[in-house]
Amino acid sequence: MGLKDDLDRFREVGEQRREDLKEFIQYGELGRSGADEVKIPIKIVDLPSFEYDQRDQGGVGQGDADVGDPVGQPQPQPGEGEDGDPGEEGGEHEYYEMDPEEFAEELDEELGLDLEPKGKRVIEEKEGPFTDVTRSGPDSTLDFERMFKEGLKRKLSMDFDEEFLREVLKIDGWGPRKAFEWARGESLPVSMAWLDDAYDEIPRDERTKWESFEAVEENVDRETVTEKIRCEGIKHVPFRREDERYRHPEIIEEKEKNVVVVNIRDVSGSMREKKRELVERVFTPLDWYLTGKYDNAVFIYIAHDADAWEVERQEFFGIRSGGGTKISSAYELAAELLESYPFSEWNRYVFAAGDSENSSNDTEERVIPMMEQIPANLHAYVETQPTGTAINATHAEEVESHFGGSDDVAVAYVTGPEDVTDAIYTILSTEGDSDE
Amino acid sequence: MSNPDRIEKQRIADDLQEHVAEARNLAEKFGLSPYEVNYWVVDYDEMNELIAYGGFQHRYPHWRWGMQYDRQQKQGQYSGGKAFEIVNNDDPAHAFLQESNTLADQKAVITHVEAHSDFFANNDWFQLFAEGTPNAAAMLERHARAISEYMQDPEIERAAVEKWIDNVLTLEDNIDQHRPYQAISSVVDDPEELDPDDLADRLGDLELSEEVREEVFDEEWLDALEGDEPSATFPEEPQKDVIAFLRTHGKQYDDEAEKAVEMEPWQRDLLDMMREEAYYFAPQKMTKIMNEGWASIWESRMMTDEGFAGDDEFLNYADHMAAVLGSPGLNPYSLGKELWQYVENTTNRREVLDKLLRVEGITWRNLKDSVDFAQVRDLLQPPPALDSIDADSLEALAELPDEYLDNEALDRALAGEVDVATYPWKVLSYEGMCRRHYSLVRRPHRGFVGRVSQSELERIGRYLFDDQVYDTVEAAIDDVDYAAGWDRMREVRRSHNDVTFVDEFLSQEFIDENEYFTYEYSQATGQYRVASQDADDVKKKLLLQFTNFGKPTIAVYDGNYNNRNELLLGHEYNGVMLDVRQAKQTLERVFELWGRPVNLLTVVKEVSDHDREVARRRNREPEPAEQGRLIRYDGEKFEEQDVPWEDVEHLAADDVDYDTKPEDWLA
Repeated sequence: MGLKDDLDRFREVGEQRREDLKEFIQYGELGRSGADEVKIPIKIVDLPSFEYDQRDQGGVGQGDADVGDPVGQPQPQPGEGEDGDPGEEGGEHEYYEMDPEEFAEELDEELGLDLEPKGKRVIEEKEGPFTDVTRSGPDSTLDFERMFKEGLKRKLSMDFDEEFLREVLKIDGWGPRKAFEWARGESLPVSMAWLDDAYDEIPRDERTKWESFEAVEENVDRETVTEKIRCEGIKHVPFRREDERYRHPEIIEEKEKNVVVVNIRDVSGSMREKKRELVERVFTPLDWYLTGKYDNAVFIYIAHDADAWEVERQEFFGIRSGGGTKISSAYELAAELLESYPFSEWNRYVFAAGDSENSSNDTEERVIPMMEQIPANLHAYVETQPTGTAINATHAEEVESHFGGSDDVAVAYVTGPEDVTDAIYTILSTEGDSDE
Repeated sequence: MSNPDRIEKQRIADDLQEHVAEARNLAEKFGLSPYEVNYWVVDYDEMNELIAYGGFQHRYPHWRWGMQYDRQQKQGQYSGGKAFEIVNNDDPAHAFLQESNTLADQKAVITHVEAHSDFFANNDWFQLFAEGTPNAAAMLERHARAISEYMQDPEIERAAVEKWIDNVLTLEDNIDQHRPYQAISSVVDDPEELDPDDLADRLGDLELSEEVREEVFDEEWLDALEGDEPSATFPEEPQKDVIAFLRTHGKQYDDEAEKAVEMEPWQRDLLDMMREEAYYFAPQKMTKIMNEGWASIWESRMMTDEGFAGDDEFLNYADHMAAVLGSPGLNPYSLGKELWQYVENTTNRREVLDKLLRVEGITWRNLKDSVDFAQVRDLLQPPPALDSIDADSLEALAELPDEYLDNEALDRALAGEVDVATYPWKVLSYEGMCRRHYSLVRRPHRGFVGRVSQSELERIGRYLFDDQVYDTVEAAIDDVDYAAGWDRMREVRRSHNDVTFVDEFLSQEFIDENEYFTYEYSQATGQYRVASQDADDVKKKLLLQFTNFGKPTIAVYDGNYNNRNELLLGHEYNGVMLDVRQAKQTLERVFELWGRPVNLLTVVKEVSDHDREVARRRNREPEPAEQGRLIRYDGEKFEEQDVPWEDVEHLAADDVDYDTKPEDWLA
């Protein structure tokens, strides 16, 4: 027992939060998280209690403001736990912070997904280990060990037992020529010139010291080069320029797992609050998931009514406009924007969401052909219809019946928060099929 | 702890000895009467542990402490490992000083702690638990030991104990914090022990102020106790202490038998212990603003105004204060401090005006025109000898009226036995301190008297008798009671809690000065928006956050609901709806403690998409429909059904309105 134990228990208990992830996606406050950090309230750590509905409660803030100004996220309120206060009973709003990688792993586990992102674009000059060598380079990368070995090898191959050869020259009647021939026969690396010089140095009276080769062999010990090095040490290793090798890093051709995600949202008049919120609930976790799965993720946000325009992420879920709906406008813009992200180098996802309302024949005549033409890992359409299907809202159905069973087009229907995780599963598992 | 560590801590403790003793002397000079405080020097890790454990050394095993420890450590990495005051409500109180803190920080902690200790000792709400002598450390250690033993008991699964604790913790705020704590056994098992006459006597012994006694122990309550006989439908009155009710009448659900069975003794024991802890911590939660403000204001008086922080430490201290008070949002330290300052200033101003209105020829109608406020301020200035005291000014000081002086200390100072350069306040009496620190002449409050509103003047002046007492303004000011502000502060500190404190002292003047506003969620725009800067509105919103720990009031309405032994909880609806999803999660826990189906009657507010749309088009807020709702959980599934308004009417308060949205908000 003791705090260490409590800490271990906390970690264990925190682990059990998994069931929570679904609930968080369906009902949690997504807005507290940023693009790089997912803040998930930990259910079991955030013990429930009877509390006010946060929105209905409102609050008090401090600062220069006029009535009607938006205040963003609620400011911290008194009683929400100052840190280190006496007797304070702990955090009421505890968040488990995940990075998108962790989120993706958790979601994989939670929903049983296994999306393996494909590496596509080659990013060059990624330095691997210093295993390649070259003949020139900075001194600091000189492979001295190798040079020494080469030198040693050379010495070994060039060296010979000089003393013995001198004795050989003293055999009566041999002389340099005969000795050279013998050495050749023995494969000794000695030159004629060396023998001539050595012979000159031998005093005349000694040039007939031995009667025969046998006599030399009998009286003089031959010493191999290795023995010689062993007892005399290496006096000199002949380093040659040609032995110099410089190490340099291996260039690994790294393929980056990169992805471009296009989020398309219908912002026309019919997209009311609940529909809008459902889109956010589907898209935001998808964004996190793909951010977590890929090394590099780029997001494009397109809002459309009868026309389409690109927006920033912060605006994306808040926009409302009047006007009709023409979904193909968004796909046209998507195709144009995606030109900067060639499919050969980028994984591509194109997600669209709306209430399935579209101008007549637009789906069949324009959207479906565009979806076929824009190469992507996955196209998805998410229909958000809290009240069930409206009569003219047939976009999702048309797309589904056209592409039915395809492994790169997914259609999901969301009527309430409880459908959100199923929709995410439908979308993310569709692509998983394609490789199999 | 290794020996060098011990020696180091001992050395620090020795160094702090004098500061601790002098901080106490100074606090008493200011009129405070704290509990004794035992100070402990601890290292960084020990400090983090203490913080995790809510300020104590031993708590029952629970993952929550681990979570707090984890968070504390992570925060430590950012905040440079500085942890400030920890002080326990106990007699004597215990406080902890971190050895790595600078001396300026240690002094700040000590002065702050002395003021907290004064608050614990003198605020009536703290007397509701164990009559103000909680023996908290011993109690918590006892609980820790008992719960550890249950966890180690081979007959009991550790996980089951933990889960049971979690279940009770969800209800830790569902107690009756305005009543004195009583152990369940004395309430239930031995009904005769709770003799109302006895209790009335015991309440008399508590020495509570009349206000609190009236609010808490009304006749009705004593009568209710008297008539507390078992009856067919129970409880007779809605019972706010939900934990006590479950402890007495609850069962556990046996999964194998698929029915409710009696609780195990350890389960009851746990409920008792958790409930006792909830009651122990309740007063601190009820007086957070007051208590932190109280500690901050006296800390600042001692550290800055009386130079308890040495000259070289002052900058360090000022930084610390700026960080504590300047944190964003609504911060209990600064709100509390500002409100206390306001109490002091308004009381002093009222005293001055009361005297001025008794000058011949001055009435509430003409005061602002006929009085020269600069002259008044000059008259209120303390004598120079009182303002700056050093060894050379002692002779001049001795000339002042006796009431300002601690003559005995002054004699010793004149003899060179008191270090007046370091402790100038030692030679003063309480009256002298009041004069020296008089709030209305201090730089930030100089215009305060002159800013009085005509309506306040009228309030003071209208029913004033004896209004021709003084001939001149000088004579009137000469009679001013300089202790009025501090005397009033101590009265307020005795009887108020955060709700009454904010209710009484938050004024429009205060809101304007500090730029407070309310915000509300706008259904039409899907955003929070500033709703009002009106004092009444800000006050309303603040009160919502302080009343009942800022949580909705839930009470047991029936323990035999529908004659089927089901539990009926009622949400006393004040216009703000419940977080329904969380309420349902809580009901799941309540089921574990009741063993049978549980019901919650509440009121929800609904806005249809259509109404929202219409409102948006008209640039207005939609008017939500209030609907009675019964939520039932039977251990497996929830049933929710709308009920007619008559069924929830008794729960709805019609005299409160926490909504601060203006009519033409979005136009």
